[in-house]
Amino acid sequence: MMRLLGLLVLVLLAGVFVHASGDLPDRGDPNAPANVHVSPHYLENAGDEVGMPNVVSAVLADYRGYDTLGETVVILTAGIAVAFVLIRRPRRQ
Amino acid sequence: MNERTDSIVLHFIAQYLMAPFILLFGFYVLVFGESGPGGGFQAGAIVGSALVLMRLTEGMEQSRRFLSSRGLLLIACAGVGIYAGVGLLALFAGQPFLDYSYVPNGWVNAFAEREHTSRALGVLGIEIGVFLAVAATLTLIFDYLMERLSDA
Repeated sequence: MMRLLGLLVLVLLAGVFVHASGDLPDRGDPNAPANVHVSPHYLENAGDEVGMPNVVSAVLADYRGYDTLGETVVILTAGIAVAFVLIRRPRRQ
Repeated sequence: MNERTDSIVLHFIAQYLMAPFILLFGFYVLVFGESGPGGGFQAGAIVGSALVLMRLTEGMEQSRRFLSSRGLLLIACAGVGIYAGVGLLALFAGQPFLDYSYVPNGWVNAFAEREHTSRALGVLGIEIGVFLAVAATLTLIFDYLMERLSDA
């Protein structure tokens, strides 16, 4: 019964997603909301403001430096978590 | 895999042909990340793979004498510290956090062909931090997996 209910919810959710995907902007649409906010500013001014030919690096490390700092901390945290899970503990009697 | 590999061909190819090239390519990707595809994450993954290859062929004991798991953890923490430190130094220069316009660039432009802005140098600094953290963390995860494997 619960399985059937779960399947029903999944099918409904898939229907909602398929229906909503029709309203998504086309791939690479220059008038899409994601492409009219800050992206033009980055593309036009990254060379002058940051002084780097690679706009991707300029956005990643300068404009979005806070985000990249968080990503680096996430990597370190993942390593420490793996160490804690796999570390060899001395057997207690 | 805890001892050095028996095959001298495998050892030679991995240690003297592949690993140096992968390391060199990793540093290239790191340094040229500002003008082409690349950056700290990618370079860290490449150099981490070279370190794992060296551990596989040289044996865990020998390569751990060269670079221990504790040392790797310290390097990873130092990488995050370099990133945060470059960002925090901006505060002492009166700039917002992670604003690299305080980095002195005259000493680089004295012998560089292309003009380097101080922000580009700051980006290189934090990329080095990301690079250290990623490379050390990848090798560290491999180390602990190997340790657990040799237990069983």
